Amino acid sequence: MKPLRKLSIVLLMLTLILAACGESGGQKASSTEDGQGSGEKVKLSIWHNFSGDDLRAKTVRGIIDQFAKDNPNVELDAQAIPPDGYRQRLSTVAAGNELPDIFFVYAGSQSAELFKAGLLQPITDIAEQHKDWKEKFLPGAFEPYEFEPNQIYSAPIGMSATSILYYNTALFQKYNVKVPETWDELMAAVKVFNDNKITPIALGNKAPWVAQSTILGTLADHVTGTEWFKNAAAQKGAKFTDPEFVEALGYFKQLVDSKAFQDGANSIDNTQAEQYFVQGNAAMMISGAWTLTNLAASASEEQLKDIDVTVMPSIPGGKGEAKTISGGAGGGMALSKRTEGAAKEAALKLIYAISGPEAQKAIAESNSMVMYDTDIDQSKVSSLYYKAFNLVKKTAITPVYDAYLSADAAEVINNGLQEIMTGASPESIAKKLQEAQARSVTP
Amino acid sequence: MSTALRSKGFIALALLPALILFLIFVIVPIFWSAYYGFFEWKGLGSAKFIGFGNYNEIIHDRIFWNALLNNLLLVASAIVGQIPVALLLALVLRRNTLFSKFIRSAVFMPMVLSTVVVGLIWGYIYHPQFGLANFVLEAVGLESWTRAWLSEPHINMLAITVPINWSNIGPYMVIYIAALQNIPSEIGDAAAIDGAKGWRKLISVTLPMIWSTVVVTLVLCISGSLKAFDHVIVMTNGGPAHSTELLATYMYNNTFHVYRYGYGSAVSTVIMLVSAILIAVNYAVTRRRNA
Repeated sequence: MKPLRKLSIVLLMLTLILAACGESGGQKASSTEDGQGSGEKVKLSIWHNFSGDDLRAKTVRGIIDQFAKDNPNVELDAQAIPPDGYRQRLSTVAAGNELPDIFFVYAGSQSAELFKAGLLQPITDIAEQHKDWKEKFLPGAFEPYEFEPNQIYSAPIGMSATSILYYNTALFQKYNVKVPETWDELMAAVKVFNDNKITPIALGNKAPWVAQSTILGTLADHVTGTEWFKNAAAQKGAKFTDPEFVEALGYFKQLVDSKAFQDGANSIDNTQAEQYFVQGNAAMMISGAWTLTNLAASASEEQLKDIDVTVMPSIPGGKGEAKTISGGAGGGMALSKRTEGAAKEAALKLIYAISGPEAQKAIAESNSMVMYDTDIDQSKVSSLYYKAFNLVKKTAITPVYDAYLSADAAEVINNGLQEIMTGASPESIAKKLQEAQARSVTP
Repeated sequence: MSTALRSKGFIALALLPALILFLIFVIVPIFWSAYYGFFEWKGLGSAKFIGFGNYNEIIHDRIFWNALLNNLLLVASAIVGQIPVALLLALVLRRNTLFSKFIRSAVFMPMVLSTVVVGLIWGYIYHPQFGLANFVLEAVGLESWTRAWLSEPHINMLAITVPINWSNIGPYMVIYIAALQNIPSEIGDAAAIDGAKGWRKLISVTLPMIWSTVVVTLVLCISGSLKAFDHVIVMTNGGPAHSTELLATYMYNNTFHVYRYGYGSAVSTVIMLVSAILIAVNYAVTRRRNA
């Protein structure tokens, strides 16, 4: 009995292992055959991270499904990978040179590294086929994807606006607080809400990029100005140990010290913080446009009608422009260097289907910001999103920190903000960030 | 050909597939990873040979030492919190009555849950605003004890040991019950005739009889605690500010978040060395006591 059972377990494991081997072998074979056989079925693989249940993910998946239906000669293998593990999955297959034909890339260091490793090819052909398409993108849309002059390697199908100030109008009215436009007003609001046992600002910083991406980016830009940040990121004539950056971190510490965030903000995630905020436990939340998408999917219209959006308050004597939002072009679809011939033609067609004018409008109407000049139908989107869409349209965009920092330095500042929240001094964090960025700029 | 030889040959042949898999997927990667540890490599593009640079950096990295300390804390908590509790439960529940079968299943239950589920459940139990832990403390009048369990440095690592111990006691209990049931009943009778009962019997008869099992569980315990990863990734992701970083999460973050594959490989090699040393120490200690 026992040996038999053991044997059957071993056999089962062997089968699983062999099955796994077989699958990856099959995939490899399919992509090498792509180049030949133009009249026959074209095999095309696409990886993206629109795996969720939210409207935007459904919209993009719908576009891909439609493409598969309209092009019966294309055998499409579409993989939706959950966003949390997407970067790692992509890096892993990139390291093994086994990238799919088309894949979603984030703007910033990851796509730049893929380009440097020679794994991408430009999609400029699309822009030549559809002349007016490229011009309708908002300024700066292609900045992260122009690795070479006059060549684009991807087209953003989203826009990241990372520092919108969400606030609960009912709570502001109840305690008679003015929606803060300056730092002093913000501090006054924090005090009033704390006195009434309401969390002033909800923050879910367990994944430590949140505080950096949503709060520090805009806060620091208001203090230092964009020019200084770009210089410091390039380590040309500015350093993160400069007094203006230490001052910016000081403002963040001031928020922490005045108990602006709820207890244990470092151990709950962003979604939990969104829920906490939308249930009326917190008066404000500084978060990105993704919160619009999440709230549209999960909160009731009753809860949403109390929520309004604005920009973060200005800093007295700050060098940066006031009333800005940190953000930039979102991710887009990129094309693998190994895809050639008929597969490449089909791939370019699919990329256009996902990032062309109709797709951009559809994505914008799925409560998600785009970098494309399009008009949306107010009746199709949530009221909160419509407010935010118009807010972002008329607001200047400033850089997000981790889009310009090296992966190493981004990790340092992310953890550094958590350290400030547990008592570290701004000076020490500024010093660590400077060291990390200097190390990666001058290897 | 004698049957003994033939069966030896058959054993070797039967072991071969498993051995080959083991070699390819365990032994060879260990050496590969030690080799990658000598390079500065981002995972993409070309690698640069830097000799012992990565290993040198590890030794001087405060976060690495903190992670090692956290791992040792896990080892200590596992040895103190899992082995004795599992042994005690096994002694109490070794009879096959319906009641003890029920309790046994209850203790084993967390093991059936995926560690991700365990991590999520305990993440909610420890939730700073509406977690069960704080709620219970408030209900019994211990408001001053409530805290943000997973984000306060110094406390969060201890908080994490609880679910890890909770979910690991079950299998050790089952192993001990099996060992206890394998003790021949004559030995128990003989001990009874000699007048040994209670503690005396446990220490002089039962424990020595299952000592080899205890040694095995100790090894499992130590190696399990050194490669601990999943609970922490789900509950805190090594944060805040690296305060709950373990060797494995430190390696993972460096490799897959910061894209320092060479450095991550070096860290994993160090993890293997540390584990080997600890397990060697464990063998030395338990063998001497056995003799």
